[in-house]
This record gives sequence, C-alpha cells and structure tokens, in this order.
Amino acid sequence: MITDARASVNIFGVRHLSPGAAKHLLQTLDEIQPTAVLIEGPSDADSEIRHLTHRQTKPPVAILAFTETLPVRTVLWPFAVYSPEYQAMKWAAEHGADASFIDLPSSVTLGFQDMMARKGEAGRNEEPAAAEPVSPESASGEESLYSRIAALAGECDYDMYWERNYEHNLSSGAYREAISAFSGEMRELSESREQQEQPLEYAYNALRESYMRRKINDKIAAGHDPDKIVVVCGAYHAAALAAPAEAISDEELQTLPVRSTKLTLMPYSYYKLSTMSGYGAGNAAPHYFQLMWEMMEAGRLDTLPHLYLSSVAGYVRGAGTHRSTAEVIEAVRLAESLAALHGGSAPTLRDLRDAAQTLLGHGELAPISEALARVDVGTAIGNLAEGVSQTPIQDDLNRLLKRYKLEKYKSTVAGELLLDLRENRRAAGEEAAYLDLHRSVLLHRLRFLGIAFAQLRPTRQDAATWAEEWVLQWSPEVEIQVVEATLLGETVEVAAAYTLREKLQQCRTIAEASGLIRTACLCGMTAQMEESIRVLQMLAVDSRDVVGIAAAARDLAAIIGFGGIRRVDTAPLLPLLTELFTRACLFLTEAAGCNDEAAGSMIAAMNELNAVSLDYGGTVDDALWLRELLALAERDDRNPRLSGLSCAILLERGSMDAGALSAEVSRRLSPGSPADLGAGWFEGLSMRGRYALLSRMSLWEQLNDYINLLDDEEFKRALVFLRRAFSTFTPREKTLVSELLGEIWGVNAEAAAELLTGELKEEEAKMLDELDDFDFDDLL
Amino acid sequence: MSTGQEQQEKESYLRLPAEVLYREELEALRKADTGKIPAGWQMSPRAVLTFITGGKAGKKEITPKYIGNTRLIEMAVATLVTDRALLLIGEPGTAKSWLSENLAAAIYGHSGLVVQGTAGTSEEHVRYSWNYAMLLANGPTPEALVRSPIMRAMEAGGIARFEEISRCASEVQDALISILSEKTISVPELGGETSARKGFSIIATANTRDRGVNEMSAALKRRFNIIVLPAPSDLETEMAIVKKRVAEIAASYELQAAVPADEALIKVVTIFRELRSGMTLDKKEKVKTPAGVISTAEAISLLTNSMALAASFGSGELTDSDLAAGLQGAIVKDDDKDKLVWKEYLDNVMKKRGTEWRGLYQACKEMNE
Repeated sequence: MITDARASVNIFGVRHLSPGAAKHLLQTLDEIQPTAVLIEGPSDADSEIRHLTHRQTKPPVAILAFTETLPVRTVLWPFAVYSPEYQAMKWAAEHGADASFIDLPSSVTLGFQDMMARKGEAGRNEEPAAAEPVSPESASGEESLYSRIAALAGECDYDMYWERNYEHNLSSGAYREAISAFSGEMRELSESREQQEQPLEYAYNALRESYMRRKINDKIAAGHDPDKIVVVCGAYHAAALAAPAEAISDEELQTLPVRSTKLTLMPYSYYKLSTMSGYGAGNAAPHYFQLMWEMMEAGRLDTLPHLYLSSVAGYVRGAGTHRSTAEVIEAVRLAESLAALHGGSAPTLRDLRDAAQTLLGHGELAPISEALARVDVGTAIGNLAEGVSQTPIQDDLNRLLKRYKLEKYKSTVAGELLLDLRENRRAAGEEAAYLDLHRSVLLHRLRFLGIAFAQLRPTRQDAATWAEEWVLQWSPEVEIQVVEATLLGETVEVAAAYTLREKLQQCRTIAEASGLIRTACLCGMTAQMEESIRVLQMLAVDSRDVVGIAAAARDLAAIIGFGGIRRVDTAPLLPLLTELFTRACLFLTEAAGCNDEAAGSMIAAMNELNAVSLDYGGTVDDALWLRELLALAERDDRNPRLSGLSCAILLERGSMDAGALSAEVSRRLSPGSPADLGAGWFEGLSMRGRYALLSRMSLWEQLNDYINLLDDEEFKRALVFLRRAFSTFTPREKTLVSELLGEIWGVNAEAAAELLTGELKEEEAKMLDELDDFDFDDLL
Repeated sequence: MSTGQEQQEKESYLRLPAEVLYREELEALRKADTGKIPAGWQMSPRAVLTFITGGKAGKKEITPKYIGNTRLIEMAVATLVTDRALLLIGEPGTAKSWLSENLAAAIYGHSGLVVQGTAGTSEEHVRYSWNYAMLLANGPTPEALVRSPIMRAMEAGGIARFEEISRCASEVQDALISILSEKTISVPELGGETSARKGFSIIATANTRDRGVNEMSAALKRRFNIIVLPAPSDLETEMAIVKKRVAEIAASYELQAAVPADEALIKVVTIFRELRSGMTLDKKEKVKTPAGVISTAEAISLLTNSMALAASFGSGELTDSDLAAGLQGAIVKDDDKDKLVWKEYLDNVMKKRGTEWRGLYQACKEMNE
C-alpha cells in the first residue's frame, strides 16, 4: 500500500522564511541524501525550479501566477535566500536529486481565489501560505493565543519568543521535534474553531493537504524509495501529510474551480517581503534574517549582534552623527545581558533594537530609525538570470531599458532623471542623438499603461516643452504591473497602442479625446494619432460647448507647438485645429449668453482662443474671430463681462480705435442702463491690457461722469460691481487709478495718497461691511 | 533594637527609603531567588525585575513599583548587569527618581548613596573633599578625607545615585567622565586611588524639559546607557499609578481622609492627560496646554493635597471644591496665561461633559474667578 509507504517518507515541517529551518533542513538533507525533494509550492511551477536555482538568480525572487483573462488575479510565492524551500531546491540541484512542487497548481489556487472573491468573502489574502497558523498574524482570533504564548514565556511579543526558541536553536533533532510538536498542538487548538468560523478556509486547507498526499504517492509510485523522499512543507501541514488519510482522486480533481493561468518568475524586494502580512518568520526584518543566515552558514552565529550593531552604527555615522566603537561594544553587551535576562542564548532582534536605541540613539528611537530600517529590512532586490522565463513584455521592457541605458534606475531607491528632448548634435548616430527623446517616449508609455516605474515631475514653464524631470523607482509592484500588462500586448508599444484604442472607443467628451491625442503624441504613437483625431472630430461636430472646444484647441495648439521637439508629425492636427477654432468662433455669441458663474470658464476659453488665433493666425480663421468678438462686444443681451472682455481683446488687437471705445463706454456707462450691467462690462474690459486702459485718460473721465450721474441707490449698486472689478488690480495699479481720478477731481496727488494709505475709520469699515450684505433682490 | 522600637522608629519618619519600606518584599525575593546573582548584587536580575514590576516571590505578593512598560525596566536592569552607568531621562514626574531609588534598594540593598544635583553642586560633592580642621592639624590623611557618596559606593561595590544631574554645572557633570570610564577616583594628596569594587554603578536621573537645566556633554552621555521614561501611555496605566501612590502616601502620612473614589481619580487624570497632550481624549477637540509640566507625579500630589485639605478643614470626604483647589494650584503656575488656559478648558471642554462633571466644573469655575 502506498499509504503505508507514505508513513516512512521524511516530512520536515518548516516555518517559511526562517533561516533556522533552512539550516536544519540542509543538515537533514545531508544526512538522508534523498533522491526526491518535494516542496510545498504550485505543482505547475516545476519547470521554474531550474531557473530558481540558476547561478545568476539572486533572491529575493518570487513565482508569480496570474490569470490570462480578466479580471486579473495574481498569486505570489516569494523566496529569500534563507527560505528553507529555496535552500532545499538548491540542495537538490547540487546533489542531482529530483525537486518538485506538490501543492495545488496555480490554476486551482487562483480558481479558488476567484470563487471566494465572487462569494464576497472578506477577501483572501493573496498569499497561499497566509493561513499558516505558525505565523503570528493569522486569523485575528488566534492573535490572543500567540500573545499568551509570548507572555507565558516572559517575552514581549511572539516574534521574540519564536526567534529565541526556534531560530536560535542549533541542535538539529530538537528543532525538528519541537517545531512539529508545537505546530501539532497549535493545530489541535485552532482547527475546530476554524472549521466552524471559516469553513471555506478549512476546506481549502484540507484540499491542499489531500492534493499534497497524492503528489507524494505519485512520487513513491514513480519508484522513489519512501525513505529517500524528503517533504518540505509548512509545519502546520506536517502531521496531516504523514497521516494515512486519503489522497484526492482524479474525479475529485476534475471538479475543482480552475482559472487558466500563466507563471513567471519575478525579482522581489526585501521591502515588499517586510510589508507582507502573515508570512511567518523573517517577514518584519528580511535583511536581519539574511545576516543571521549568513552567520549560520559561516558557523559564527554568535557574532550576529556585533555585525548588526556595527552596521547600525555605520549607518548612523554615515548620516553624520558620531557614535563611538565603545558604544557599539556596550550595545552588544546590553543586548547580551537582555538575552540573559530572558534565559536566552543569544540576543533576539528586539534585544538588539532596544540596545541600539539605548546606546546608539541615546535613548531615542528617532536618530537611529532610518539606520534600523536599513539593517532590518534592507533595500535588496532580487535578480533573475537573463531570459529566464519572463513574459514577452518583461523581456521587451528589459531590452528597452538596456537600449536606452536606463538599467541603473531599476533599483528600489528612487533616482532622478533629467531629460533634454532636443537633438544632441555632438552624439554619433541618430539613436544617440535622440536618446533622451526615446527615453521620454518609453517612460510616457509606461505611465500610460499604469506602470508606476516613472513619475513625471512638474517643471518650470519656460523649459516645459523640451525638458522633462522624471523620478524613477523600481519595485516588485512595478514588476507585477508589467506582468499584468502582458494581457494587453506582447511589447510595451503594442500594449500602449491597445490601451489607447480601448480608451478612444470609450471616449465621450472632447476634453478626453484631446487628452488622448496628447498622450498619443507623448507616447510617440503616430499611427494612433490619426484615429484619435478622427474621434475628436466626430465628437466636436456634435458639440456646442465652446469651453470644451477651446480647451481642446489649446491642447492641440500646445501639441503642435512642441510636436517638432518630440519629432512627431503634427501636420494632420492643423486642419482639426482650424475646424475646432471655427466652431468655437461660431458659437461664441450664443455661449456668451450665460450667468456670471459660467462666465468664469468662458473668460478662460476666450483668452485661450485668442492665444490660439495669435499663435496660428495663418492657419485659423483670424478674421472670423475678430468679427465674432466685435459682434459680441456690441451685444447688450449677453453677459456684460464677456462683452467687456471682447472690447478689451479688440482694443489689444488694434481692431477698435479710441473713438469706438469712447462711444461704447458712453453707451454702456449711461445712467439709463442698469448699474450692474455697466459696471460688469467695465469689469470685463479691465481684465486685459490694464496699462493700455490706465493710459487712456478719456476712459476715466467717462467713468467719472458716469458715477457723478448716478443717484445714491444706483451708486451703491454700481459700487459693488466696480469694487469687484478693481479687486484683481495690483496695489500699484489701484494707486494709479486713484491718482488718475484724483487728477480729474482736482485733488492733490500727495493728499490723495495720504488718504489712501491711512487706516480705515470705523465708520468707513462699517460702510464697507454693509456693501458685503448688499441686497440684490431684483437680480436674483 | 526590638521590633516594636523599630516599628516606632519607622513611623516617625516622614518618608522611608525603599529598602526599609519594602523590607519584607526584598527579603522574600532574596529567599525565593534561584537565579545567578552577579557580583556585588543582593539578588538575581530577574528578582530585581520582579521587585520593580511586581509578581510573586514564593507566597509573598510583590507590589509593582513601576507601572508601565516592563521592557524599559528590563533594559535598565540589563544595563546595570553590564556594570554600565544608567541614565534615566524624562519629563518631570515620570518616576525617574522613584525608579532609581527602588533599583538601588533591590540591587545594593541601600538607596541612600545620593548626590542631589543642584546648580550649587561642586566637584567635591562628586569626588571627595576634606575635613579642613583635620587637614590643617595633620595634613592630608585618610581620616581627613570626606568621601562623596559616589566614592563610598565604589569602595563598597554598591550603587550610587546622582539625582537631577542636568541641574549641575557642566564642569561638575564632567567630573563623572573619568570616574565612569576608569572606575577609579585618584586622591593625589594621599598618593593613591580608590578603585571600584565589583557591583559599583551609578544611576543618574535628568530632566529634559524644565527651566534651569544644563545640556549634558556628548562625552558624558556616551558613558551612560540612556533610557527615556515616557509619560504613562494610556488612561488606565496612569489611573493605576495614581491610585497606588495616593493610597501609599495617604497611609504613610496617616491622612484622616478617605482615599479618593475612582470617579475623582478619572476626572483628575483625564484633565491632566488632556492638558498635557493638548487634545481631548477622544481626539476631537484641541486644547491649549499650560506653560508648566503637568505630570503624573503632580496628579498624585494634587490628590494627596486635596485629601489633606478634606481631612484638616473638611468632613474627611473629598469634595469637588477640595479637588478644584488642588487643580487650580497644579495647573495655574504662570499666573495670567495659565489662568486663561484653564478657563478656556473649563468652558470649552469640561462644561460640556454633562452632569457628572457639573459639580467639579462649578467649583473650578469659582476657584478660577
């Protein structure tokens, strides 16, 4: 019977990411010299083992499985250098043993994840090992159990208990027995409750174990001597795998939920490892555990405190704070004395940290917190041998990064990159001359794909067209995003083009469409630009929204403006710009019939249109623009501010002379027309070309005459509007205005200045306050 | 001395040193101690830890002397095991001296070797001085030497305490530097030196935030293991501390007033915590903080003061007006500004707290007028 044979298989329960477990496992492997090493991990990832153990592969790395179709679900199996699983694989590779994964294939793992997500479960953690109860942070109900264990052992927390009792335990047999006894007891304590409270989790766990039993049986059937098989699994599963329970059958296997998945290896980072929840030992301080592993390997575990505290001191010194060697020595002594107080053989991480705080931080955590983070967590990021089972888009991206000399930015430390998009005339060859431009295009594409590798910093306006400032930072999340982008296309360019097309199809507003044209231009996707132009045109035909059209026109104008620098052919955009401009002109008068609130955005639109007509006078219909402005200026039934602004633009463009202005002013500012209309118009007029206005004495005389003609009530009303009109004037301009008016009134300039700069009298202040409460009853 | 006499003796002192106050506990701990005892120590480090943080020694219940973060005490004890000097830093009223006294009592069995640091402390207080009559009569002799507490601790292999070290002038502080690194005091007049026996150490305390404190030199800081004692981390911890100390002090002063009820404690501790953190406990409202430090120690003395008031001039029951008088004294130190802060707190926070607080509010309001 295979089940009986399975009883003699060597099952080694470990804690994932535990240097102690890795060390003892290696010893066991050396003793048993197995022919097959079976590891808890996705059984469809067997082919990745070869790459994981490759000489050039540098942990931390992870196996990533993702679904091929939407919604994308992903699952990760991370490995650090001190992962027992990783060391087992390496051992097998070195000793010619057969290594394979025995957990459910990723298709089933993700199938389950999908199912649970759809069931609206609280959301299973992405890590398959998250349910390992050997870890302290699993189900919340168990937390008290772990803190109670720690308290009974007289430790501050469970991590400290674990490290003291298991990681520091160097006696091999004792370790294996202790961990299996411990996890067996723990399982007994928590199992029945899990069965009741999390039936799905429980069932999933049972399923995994029965699948693992099946894989062990398969291995025995394949002719491996059961005595020469070592199974490496979470300690939680150890007993269940040895038990004579049934293995899953073919028929049962068929009924499991399945999502079609792909697997890839990806570099991982210690930072990411440290932020993962529920993944057992080593999670909070990967770099520390790496140090521990290295010291164990060298047989000098007792020097770990020295190494740790000198490293912290080194970083603190590097940051400019002096700390002496004597203090490091005392810190080691304190840490050892703290360990002795707990009956431990060596200081735990907590002891080391507290010693560092006391000695190197002089009691405070702040001065050493960064150094601690560096030594505990570290910035290490894994590396894969070139061409190792990556998705095509990862390959493509790596190729591009290499080609554009961006490889050094593939680091978890943020780096700045300044790009000058102009041709480098001293460079040899076309590619070198436009290196920065190519880089910019690539980074824009990544940004567009939602790959958070590069962030664009806003730059000063004057350099905006040819200079770009990027901040580049690689992280495992970026890697995952890149892998996810595989679903969109095989290369970065294809994926970006696909996304752009998708977005264009969903595009409903002019602003979105012009934004996409901009994107296409930034991403150097000329082919898609035509498509975008077509979409924008179609949208514009049906639009009467002058504000939106104006914004689009401005966008296009900007693209045309810097298109040359980006070496994008912007000629196809010119007809569209003309068309948009004409449309905006034609609807100007209609759109100007709006209330004051909407007038704000119209003012911006008119200024933008004017800028476009000035910049592209030869292309767009400038004459039409001026005609429409004139029409608007003369209308009395449109928003007076917009009519006023039209006048101002016309004045500026030299299309209205002093006589016409004077006539218009006297028409607008006549006592017959309501005060708010007159003053509103004046507000519009004063929005542009202020110095031109300030130099026209006749204008102010007319304004003065107008004010003199108003009766008290009308004056108050006009005052409210005029006050608003002048509120945007600078103090200097205000002084000029008052000097002008003073001149008209025959007031001496100095006397006026004295009055103006003096404090407000209480009475005057009160009058101003009353204006704020002015009752607009007939206007509302 | 018979037990009865001793008892009488004990009662006639205003305040007893820790080793006398907790003699029974210390004896029980020594008896039950199974750990390895470092040279010069009276008990094992674990037993010292139990003495400070509470627990059991055989059948004897050990009361906790320091309530709060046990890990800090572990670090303090571990420091003294490594014969390093210990520096306790903290805001006024965070039990620095209390902890240092109890540590010395447990480890050395004697907490009385103290240098009380002031602006007037001179180097002689730290090292040694002379009996000048003898010096003039006989010249420098060992008999004419007046040893400082630190020097005596060195000779005996015990623990010396240096209170308020940051109040001493920097030059005086720095007299410690060579003592701590070489563990000897040389007496050139006698042509010799006193070397420390095993077990010698110094526990110093320093204020971080107060008027009239001097910055400590980096060289001196390097010779200490520094532990920062925080203000109690939550309401419950602070309540427990205040309650315990008030009961102990009331017993030793034989105050003829009832120990304050929990409600009064909660109110006082709440007010203190809110004024200290500048925020109401529910973190919804900002509160102005008074200029002075309002520590747990002051909450304790406030309550005992109020009890004394109640006992001497009242019914023996702690009333709201007794509390109000205490609060007024504790919070309003820098007259005008603090008075406004207190008034603002009364009107903006306390007034809205409902009927339970009404009595105290009225009393405080009257007091602050």
